[in-house]
Amino acid sequence: MGITDLTSMAEVETEARRELNERLLRLREEASYYCYQCAKCTAGCEAHKLLELEPHRIVALLKRGLVQEMVNSDIIWTCLSCFKCKERCPQKVAPVNILFALKNLAVASGKEVPGDYTAMLTSAMGMGLIQDVQTVTTRGGETRTREGLCLPPISVPTDPAKFQMTVMTVAMEKV
Amino acid sequence: MNKIGVFVCHCGLNIASKVDVVEVAEYASKLPGVVISKDYKYMCSDPGANLIKDSIKEFDLDGIVIASCSPRMHEHTFRGVAKDGGLNPFTVEITNIREQCSWAHEDPAEATQKAKALVRSAVSKAALLEPLEASRTPVTPEALVVGGGIAGIQAALNIADSGFKVHLVEKEPTVGGRMAQLDKTFPTLDCSSCILTPKMMEVYHHPNVDLLTYAEVESIEGSIGNYKVKVRKKARYVDIDKCTGCNECASACRLAGRVVDEFNMGMGKRSACYIPFPQAVPLKSTIDPNSCLMLRFGRCGDGPLCVKACEPGAIDFSQKDETLELNVGAVVIATGYDLLEANRMFEYGYGRSPDVITTMQLERLISSSGPTHGEVVLPSSGKHPTSVTFILCVGSRDETQCSWCCRIGCMSALKHVYLLREKLGEEVEINICYTDIRSFGKGYEEFYRNIRSKNTNFFRGRPSEVRVKKEGFLIDIFDTTTDKLFEIRSDMVVLVPALVPRSDSQELARTFKLSRSSDGFLLEAHPKLRPMDTFVNGTFIAGCAQGPKDISDTVSQACGAASRAVGILSKEELENEPLIAWVDPEVCVGCGVCVEVCAYSARNINDVTGIAEVDEALCAGCGACVSSCPSNACTHKNYTKRQLVRMIDEVV
Repeated sequence: MGITDLTSMAEVETEARRELNERLLRLREEASYYCYQCAKCTAGCEAHKLLELEPHRIVALLKRGLVQEMVNSDIIWTCLSCFKCKERCPQKVAPVNILFALKNLAVASGKEVPGDYTAMLTSAMGMGLIQDVQTVTTRGGETRTREGLCLPPISVPTDPAKFQMTVMTVAMEKV
Repeated sequence: MNKIGVFVCHCGLNIASKVDVVEVAEYASKLPGVVISKDYKYMCSDPGANLIKDSIKEFDLDGIVIASCSPRMHEHTFRGVAKDGGLNPFTVEITNIREQCSWAHEDPAEATQKAKALVRSAVSKAALLEPLEASRTPVTPEALVVGGGIAGIQAALNIADSGFKVHLVEKEPTVGGRMAQLDKTFPTLDCSSCILTPKMMEVYHHPNVDLLTYAEVESIEGSIGNYKVKVRKKARYVDIDKCTGCNECASACRLAGRVVDEFNMGMGKRSACYIPFPQAVPLKSTIDPNSCLMLRFGRCGDGPLCVKACEPGAIDFSQKDETLELNVGAVVIATGYDLLEANRMFEYGYGRSPDVITTMQLERLISSSGPTHGEVVLPSSGKHPTSVTFILCVGSRDETQCSWCCRIGCMSALKHVYLLREKLGEEVEINICYTDIRSFGKGYEEFYRNIRSKNTNFFRGRPSEVRVKKEGFLIDIFDTTTDKLFEIRSDMVVLVPALVPRSDSQELARTFKLSRSSDGFLLEAHPKLRPMDTFVNGTFIAGCAQGPKDISDTVSQACGAASRAVGILSKEELENEPLIAWVDPEVCVGCGVCVEVCAYSARNINDVTGIAEVDEALCAGCGACVSSCPSNACTHKNYTKRQLVRMIDEVV
């Protein structure tokens, strides 16, 4: 007959939950309901250390059907997309992909994308990369080039216009 | 003149790392009466045993002291070694220089000194040890199984299949017990009665099983190998040789549909004469004396309708209870469990609304033999529920009710989620309020994972309250996975109550002289190594009488208990433990204190001589009578006062 969050008086959105889980299934991910809240994802989360993201809490809220609360929250934008949570989850749940789905929902509902994200997006659309990293500094303070590490040169889109078109098409589908 | 051999064990480094074993052996060789003293790395090994046996022959020993681990570990081994070497096994004295010396002390010098004192003390006792012979008692090759649920049925079948006669006593009119009330079983979803009824029929038809339904054990006397049991067969008021099980009497009964049906957990009504369920074994009618008008008031309208309806003329109001006397060699207790009265948790609304039910009641609602023929409806309105909320651990893991885990609640609720979805469709909302989901058995975690995928709302927490509203219930729950307080609206609440000992378990324990653990369930002799044994030799326990468990564990334990019983029945004679109490008839005044303190009913006063006696088969050698005898007439064999005083003199 229904469930109410007595703090926010929000009703549980079972339909939104179902839809989101279906998106995950399309990505061949296990749906959120398998999560048993071991919080292994949060224990290893890079964004948790700096920005207090708790992936297991994200999954719990999705299991409960409190989707709108997450879409409205800034915390979903703190994920560094390192995929460690997906790699290590004992129940094959992928919090990182839940966060992607939530970000897509946020964009679709017309929410503003945080500033840093816009810069990254412009960079990606322009040269196909968020950052054009050519050198790295080791723990010992030495500088290494891609060439020096025997890595191939980074490939960039040959036809930027076509690339942007393709990205936009995929993005529209997702959103 | 004593010829004592001392054997000091290193136990690898367990003893040798703290105690200078060579020095202890050297010291022992100079003690009075000692003719040989040796140390060896592992005295319990084959070469160690040979060292002892060879020494017995070479030095013609008449007593042995072994300084080693606790006698609990290897007393049996070393008595066997002595016997093989040609010595009376009771002339072996073990002194514990491991648990009580090397493991307990830090300083090697002091540990060695203590080991020497312990060996000195043991040698002094060994010189006084008396060779003992075990007496023998013949065994009655029949067994008694109390309780006709799955545990009792399984135990009875195993014993019967081993070729021994079994008396299976069940207090209800049919065997089957709790399992017969279940619809499906987790995690395989086997139909409970489909897998149970073949066993019920087998126990009914087995030539070695004497099935005594509607009967209770009144008293039991005697001991392992030879128990005398009195069983009261309650009057059924139906001649079971004539009754065909047609159930016409139930339909005809004036009280039809007016008597609370305990088999259906109060969810339906039955008649005063009834067959509990369609697959009952034996399929015979029983008249309930607590409701039948004829039996309560001596008249039933213008004549009992059941008598008119019964074509074979099986109804017999003149039947009386009968008492049977049985002789058995072993006993298996499998009396099962009760469920906690759910109204003890007042806040969950049980009893305040008919739509708050227990899991067992839901079993009856789901079952096709239940009051609704398997249709899951709200007891208040007869409509299908749209939202069902399960509350787990009702009284379990709760210091104010039952501190233990019921071991089946989580899985039974998960099973019900599956069955409710099957019955009511995917759209029914199901909420589970849990403390932990414990899915520990084979295939259980897989089942839990499968249920998690079924859009079930799991709330980790215990609801504070179920508020009964005009339309359904409001349930407040703080979910610790989201750290949020929720209000659930449901029209059916299912409570998963704790499993508790049978209400008459105290009486049962008293009748069979069994101990109970602090939770009230029957106590096993050792939780790991003797899980089916009790402290009464020859009496075993199986199933939930010992503690909550699921069907798989119950059946395993029943097989184990049966095998323990068969171990006794298959012997023609039993050897009695000789280390028991003994009464000096010259000293005993027959005061009877020993009879009162004996926890094993091994003591009695002889009617003719007026002197206390010891039942050698029953005495467990606990020593309670010895320490309480006011006239010092009672001694414990090979723990005599003289022996013990000598030992103390040597160490202090």
